[in-house]
Amino acid sequence: MAKIPFLKYAIKHIFMPAETEKRHHKLVEAPESYRGKIKFDENSCIGCGMCIRVCAPEAITKKVEKLDGEEKVTMNFDLGSCTFCKMCEDFCPKKSIKLTKDYSLITRDKSNLYERGSFIKKLPVKVEKKAPEKVIEEKK
Amino acid sequence: MEKLLRWSRSKSPWIYHLNTGSCNGCDIELMALLGPKYDLERFGIKLTGTPKHADIVVVTGPVTTKSKDRMLRILSQIPEPKVVVSLGSCPMSCNVFKGSYCVEGPLDRWTHVDVSIGGCPPKPEAMMEGILQAVKILKEKGGEDKRG
Repeated sequence: MAKIPFLKYAIKHIFMPAETEKRHHKLVEAPESYRGKIKFDENSCIGCGMCIRVCAPEAITKKVEKLDGEEKVTMNFDLGSCTFCKMCEDFCPKKSIKLTKDYSLITRDKSNLYERGSFIKKLPVKVEKKAPEKVIEEKK
Repeated sequence: MEKLLRWSRSKSPWIYHLNTGSCNGCDIELMALLGPKYDLERFGIKLTGTPKHADIVVVTGPVTTKSKDRMLRILSQIPEPKVVVSLGSCPMSCNVFKGSYCVEGPLDRWTHVDVSIGGCPPKPEAMMEGILQAVKILKEKGGEDKRG
């Protein structure tokens, strides 16, 4: 027994069940802190654009529509070009980006793989600045 | 006869793995899929070495300039009906290689893509879902037979 290595394991493994995962037909739960699909909370976003700066594959785009006295900001996360590096979540000052455990990104048409959210940002009211009155000292 | 062909095609789809400049992440995951743990071969799926025997082609990587011509040649060698699966974010949008001088755009610029699996790299379970969906598409597609 001692002279033939692994014989013990070979006999033991005959009676063990197969290694193959049985649950092939459904998606199993991902492990803790798995980086999957992006979830964007549009209510807490301030539109600072920090996520756009740190995103390596340029997956995040910001679209600004000017309305009357306010701006409609739309953040679009293209999951087709995301690398799931979690940098946007780390750098978000308001914690409005979250990477969930959902990893099922299978689609027949790739244009519907995105996460989008839009919010309205109020512009600061412009106060008309009065030109400072020039005090001209007349030289006498 | 047609019915029998279609049924038999969906029961043993052979996949061909085409690497067009991938970083090997998706390739390793695909190999893990064929291994004992996720065992894709229980569905009759087999990895083949030649495109002439393949039904499903799995493309990984952004299409680089060097591999573009070869990719088109290989895709034209695969007999109809074929299903093109793009694996990972690279063939979908070039990922971090976007705008590079040696990358020739996403895969759907050159060919019709049936199933796209996102992720960088995708989890093997997601890959399996995608490939099983490709098998379903293969069953639907099986109308015209232009083999040979």
